[in-house]
Amino acid sequence: MSKIRKQYVPFMKAGIQTLIIYRMNFLGFVIGGLVYCFVMYYLWKAVFDSAGGGTFLGFSMTDMVLYLFLSNTTTQLVYSSVTSEIGEEIKDGSIAMRLIKPVNTDWSYLFNELGGAFMKLVVFVLPMILGLEIYRFYMTGQIMFEPLNFLLYLVSAAAAYMISFRINLCFGFVAFYVKNLWGFNILKVSIMNFLSGSLIPLAFMPDTLRTILEYMPFASMSYTPVMIYMGKYSAAETAMRIGIQIIWAIAIYGLSKLIWVGAVKKLSVQGG
Amino acid sequence: MKRAWKIYRLLAAQNLKRLMEYKADFLTGAVSFLIDQAIGIAFIFIIFTQIPQLSGFTFEQIVFIYGFSQIPKGLDHLLADNLWCVGYFIVKKGDFDKYLTRPINPLFHVIAETFQVDAAGELVVGIGLIIYSSAGAGLYITPLSITLTVLVIPFAALIYTSIKITTSAFAFWIKSSGFIIQMIYGMNEFSKYPTTIYSLPVRILVTYMIPFALTGYYPVIFILTGNSPITSIGTVVLVSILFFVLSLFIWHKGINAYESAGS
Repeated sequence: MSKIRKQYVPFMKAGIQTLIIYRMNFLGFVIGGLVYCFVMYYLWKAVFDSAGGGTFLGFSMTDMVLYLFLSNTTTQLVYSSVTSEIGEEIKDGSIAMRLIKPVNTDWSYLFNELGGAFMKLVVFVLPMILGLEIYRFYMTGQIMFEPLNFLLYLVSAAAAYMISFRINLCFGFVAFYVKNLWGFNILKVSIMNFLSGSLIPLAFMPDTLRTILEYMPFASMSYTPVMIYMGKYSAAETAMRIGIQIIWAIAIYGLSKLIWVGAVKKLSVQGG
Repeated sequence: MKRAWKIYRLLAAQNLKRLMEYKADFLTGAVSFLIDQAIGIAFIFIIFTQIPQLSGFTFEQIVFIYGFSQIPKGLDHLLADNLWCVGYFIVKKGDFDKYLTRPINPLFHVIAETFQVDAAGELVVGIGLIIYSSAGAGLYITPLSITLTVLVIPFAALIYTSIKITTSAFAFWIKSSGFIIQMIYGMNEFSKYPTTIYSLPVRILVTYMIPFALTGYYPVIFILTGNSPITSIGTVVLVSILFFVLSLFIWHKGINAYESAGS
């Protein structure tokens, strides 16, 4: 255990430092995400007004605001930039330096990112949840905060993080073949946003599509934790959803290991 | 002017050659933007399975506005993409010296250098959506409305470019302004839907301060409703010229403040 701490904690510290140094870039992404939420807020407001009634497919406007902002926040929290990280390192050859270190390569990436994720949780996610709860109190006149749901949210978000990290790791290996990583990244983000329900709640989708998407790993990445936080699932359902997340986390872990073994053999570093 | 055109053609030809070399690259870029757009439309479609009208607009009208908003965005993306690089790293690395030592206008050189074909995704979707929705959108079609709506497109694109010139020029003072471009540019989300759905402060913000509403909804008010084009298209033309002049001014101030960096 202490060996692991010695080996990987420096990676985590480096991750925190990177985020602090590039805090303006991080701020840019946060504000960009918030702008997007506000556009969506107005769009949904118009939808609710046009629909006439107070609720739309079982969501009230207050629910919708919570969903919108929390799913954006959760997406940012579990977002992993390991795809472009690997791509860059393959391009400039510095991945060779990582491979010769006596540590597990994918773990070194993971701890790098965990540092950043921890910072995001403290400076962004928790304040956002506080703000949303104040909003809910203001709108409904009662305190809606459920400590149990919040804890389950954190558990589910941790599982979501593991899935997201591994999926992005798999995508990162595509860098071996694709040169236009930037375009590829846009493709990846927009497809994931759709499949994970952060664009449109999966609950609003046609039944068959919804059922399929709910069982796919992408829903586990933001939809599941957010719905748990909102208390939309019964106890049994919550347990099942977290179970599905864990199964996916393990499956994708295996997949990424498999691809990694194949990819390293193929790796030819240019320059460096 | 003739010389500028000749230089532009030469640089664009270089770009196209590079493109031929990396065909798969181009395909990834264009397909990415295409799918990004398709998902945006799926969103509108799902909303409209539940409601007949959105703030008084039909499905076709919303799609028309959405489609139109992608054309100025795509044009700017096609022609002026290199400004992102100025903001993100050209100034930071000290590579901007290159543009200052050549006998052509630096801004022109920066813009002429890149011909970003990824934009095909936005342009194809935009034009496709307009064709698809124009029959059902109940358009007010006269020779004047069509002419003005087409003529206003370059002005709307100029708004995008002006905003990018201004925000990328900040890099001359603070070395790297990529995140500022990102932040301001991200507000183009507001252009995709009718401005009337936003609250008054937001409407003022996106019409006069960061005028993305003028790149989507305003240019099509005339052809959608037949209301006087002076307040809609007129505003777009006026504001775009104003913003362009302002951005040139800031750019030149920036170049004067530029100190080479890097090694």
